[in-house]
Amino acid sequence: MEVTLDKIDKRYDSTYAVKNLDLKIEEGALHFFLGPSGCGKTTTLRMLAGLEKPTAGRILFGDKDVTSMPAADRGIGMVFQNYALWPHMTVRKNIEYGLKLRKLSKVEIQQRLDDVVGITQLDGYVDRLPGQLSGGQQQRVALARALAIRPTVLLLDEPLSNLDARLRLDMRDNISRIHKQTRITTIYVTHDQKEALSMGTAVSVMKQGHMIQTGAPRTLYNHPNSSFIASFIGETNLLIGKVTDIASDEYTVETEFGLFKTTRVVGQYKVGDEVHVSIRHEAVGVDFGKEPLVADIKLKLRLEHLTYLGESEQFKFRNDAGAFFKATVFHTPEHSICDGDEVTCRVSAEDILILPYQADTDSGT
Amino acid sequence: MSSEKAMVDQESRLSRLISTTVGYGTVIATMAMLFFFLILPVGVIVSKAFYSENGLTLEYFRLLFANDLQTVAIWNSILIGLATTFFCMMLSIPLSMINTKWVFPGKTLLSGLLLVPMVMPPFVGAIGIQRFFARRGSINMLLLENGWIDAPIDWLAEGNKFWAVVILEVLHLYPIMYLNLSAALANVDPSLEEAAEVMGVPRWRRYLQIVWPLAAPGLFAGSIIVFIWALTDLGTPLLVGFHDSMPVRIFNMVTDVNENPVGFALVFVVILLTVCIFLASKFMFGTKKYDMMAKGHVTSGVQKAGLLRTAMIYVVVGGTILLALIPHISVLITSISDQWFLTVLPEQYTLRYYEQIFQTDLPFTGIKNSFLFSMGSTLLDLVLGLLVAYVVTRKLVPMSGFLDGLVMIPLALPGIVLAFGYVITYTDTFLDPLENPVPLLIIAYAIRRLPFMVRSASAGLQQTSYSLEEASACFGASRFYTLRKIVMPLVAANLIAGGLLCFAYAMLDVSDSLILAMKDQYYPLTKAIYALFLEQGSGEFVSSALGMVGMLILTVCIVGASLILGKKMGELFRS
Repeated sequence: MEVTLDKIDKRYDSTYAVKNLDLKIEEGALHFFLGPSGCGKTTTLRMLAGLEKPTAGRILFGDKDVTSMPAADRGIGMVFQNYALWPHMTVRKNIEYGLKLRKLSKVEIQQRLDDVVGITQLDGYVDRLPGQLSGGQQQRVALARALAIRPTVLLLDEPLSNLDARLRLDMRDNISRIHKQTRITTIYVTHDQKEALSMGTAVSVMKQGHMIQTGAPRTLYNHPNSSFIASFIGETNLLIGKVTDIASDEYTVETEFGLFKTTRVVGQYKVGDEVHVSIRHEAVGVDFGKEPLVADIKLKLRLEHLTYLGESEQFKFRNDAGAFFKATVFHTPEHSICDGDEVTCRVSAEDILILPYQADTDSGT
Repeated sequence: MSSEKAMVDQESRLSRLISTTVGYGTVIATMAMLFFFLILPVGVIVSKAFYSENGLTLEYFRLLFANDLQTVAIWNSILIGLATTFFCMMLSIPLSMINTKWVFPGKTLLSGLLLVPMVMPPFVGAIGIQRFFARRGSINMLLLENGWIDAPIDWLAEGNKFWAVVILEVLHLYPIMYLNLSAALANVDPSLEEAAEVMGVPRWRRYLQIVWPLAAPGLFAGSIIVFIWALTDLGTPLLVGFHDSMPVRIFNMVTDVNENPVGFALVFVVILLTVCIFLASKFMFGTKKYDMMAKGHVTSGVQKAGLLRTAMIYVVVGGTILLALIPHISVLITSISDQWFLTVLPEQYTLRYYEQIFQTDLPFTGIKNSFLFSMGSTLLDLVLGLLVAYVVTRKLVPMSGFLDGLVMIPLALPGIVLAFGYVITYTDTFLDPLENPVPLLIIAYAIRRLPFMVRSASAGLQQTSYSLEEASACFGASRFYTLRKIVMPLVAANLIAGGLLCFAYAMLDVSDSLILAMKDQYYPLTKAIYALFLEQGSGEFVSSALGMVGMLILTVCIVGASLILGKKMGELFRS
């Protein structure tokens, strides 16, 4: 089922939880709403579920306007953040609840129960109470319960946030697999970008009630439309700069770390405009003195702090004015660089991105 | 899939209509009930107190305060209230501190026994006490036999009756204060005290400056309820024979109030006193609510008591229990005594009076009536209480806070005021208590216990996550279906506990029963006990036996409720 959000506003008293949200979610998508807490993503999900009413705008399921249709009639399946399993009912009763409300035959109910129990790997647990299950199992029961009614749209509200890191990885695969099997249009709310990037067919990033950018995970990472997206998806050095020269399509920007030249530009600028320059931490190379350094731009920087993480090392540099510049290098060779050393870094022109200047964007330092 | 959805569509439209109707119906029905049986009667009293044939007047108040007998009664009642509150506090502070700070062998049993006095209306105790402390009662006999006194002491002389009432009230009401205080103290995060301890603050200072300020709202809440209950309790002064108190005066005025309208003025004084106290409490503590920090790692703060301290605890707790049980024991002994004259304890025992309960009309009717009335009122409370609590906690209607406040009023409204109001409002209507007091009795019982039910149900509802209901809605359930299938099973324990309390307190209701039931055939248990007590001959013994039966029923209910509710029981008695 295709889902359309048409100019949705949600206002509580005088503050907007969601403002002017326009979005089309494709049939069969695994669509993510991603954003920091309080960005309006859960409110949006609850409006899709029918648990909240938009202040303005329309919600369409397919061609049908469901804006004022109550949750009970929408035929959606929802997995709540706390799972909302009814503690006085067994797993079986929990799953059958929605089926019985639909007055399905006994045979049909049993059939669907077996289906979802199989798909969520809950065999052998159907007669337990939710309290007797582990967090991961409870999560799967919540999913099974939502799937059993063959929902038109499946809504997941931070379904993995109560699980430990290990289990979370397993459940990501599980949900992806189930989505591939059922092809139900699924809308998934999370604040975990790794979840969104690794599982989503599309991701909408929200901030303070506004949808900032929607796109495939690769698009968001490689082609952010704003410095907020650049710093929110992945990690980046956001440098404030001024355009000093424009030659055909190559822009030169002056920053406190020197001059950067690139052809990758979002927006249109003239000489003298203030911009943000984004350079990903992992796009910055560090000279360990092992191989000759070939690069478009070289920076000599003083190392403030080095964090060793095994598979990677994080370098935090600082210039004389006190501004930070970070690099993350994977699979580093043996080296003897330590805090306080002067180190040469390199950046390729293709890894430099010019974005509109946004005053409130946290540069991630 | 589309046919499935259509089915849900159609069905849920109907059920939604029902649930909306039920939702607003509840609110309207509750409002109407509270209006007709709470606000209107009080309004009638107030208007009659200020209104005579010649228009607005303060004449009744002039008459009231010109009459020394009446002013003395007012003062006596206030003093009874103050003294009772004071002694309850003195008794409860050490008890609640022991309860929150120390563990010792037999703690559960002793803590349970401390609550026993709640199961008996103090006026039943008054019957037993009179046997013990009469001129030729057990205490005097004991003292005479041992040669400690030469002549019997007149314990219950006119001048001592004031203190007899106070003592009986204290022994009955201290558990309410104790429960309130324990709950408040248990709510004080022990790490707050520990934080002061590591700074080197001495123990007495920690209590004075950290623990008590935080627990003060609990102490105050308990005090208010104790004060109002003692101020307006009718049964005890009536049976002790202390007639110079406000409730007894009001009781005596009910029947001829139309000839002597000073009664209205007196009831108005009671209302005024109650309102003032509640306003004062809101003024002092209303805005002062400390938020306890989230308790991450809770150090329980409970320590094991050493040998010496255990002994001291036993003396304090055991002594209190013994003292509190004297009225019960005396009622028990009276109820089974056969030959009892000029001896410390009866010479012979008998179960004759228990047999009489079931053979004679009055006692049996009393039990039967009380059972029926209390069942009716409990049922009413269950339905109204759950719906009101649901509507209020889920904020389903505008102004739900107002509804919540309204429902809580009966907690503070003295029973005599309400009963008095019913009599003057509904005499000569189809609800005339002279004709048939049953509807009014059931409603009075229900209204006065409704706060317990609402509190109990709200406590349960607040603990169940709303998302459980949202989940149900997502699967196509109407609100009414969700209420039945999801909400009710989850708060069942609270409903049962609340129901038991409502039932227990309806069974031992004194003021409504004494005032509203005017014909033998409608006497509830308490009025039967009172009527029997006034009878010559074996009346005193049969009424004691009846009192014991009542106590037994209530013990079962209250023990049941506290087993289900556990520590949360204290919260039900908060204003």
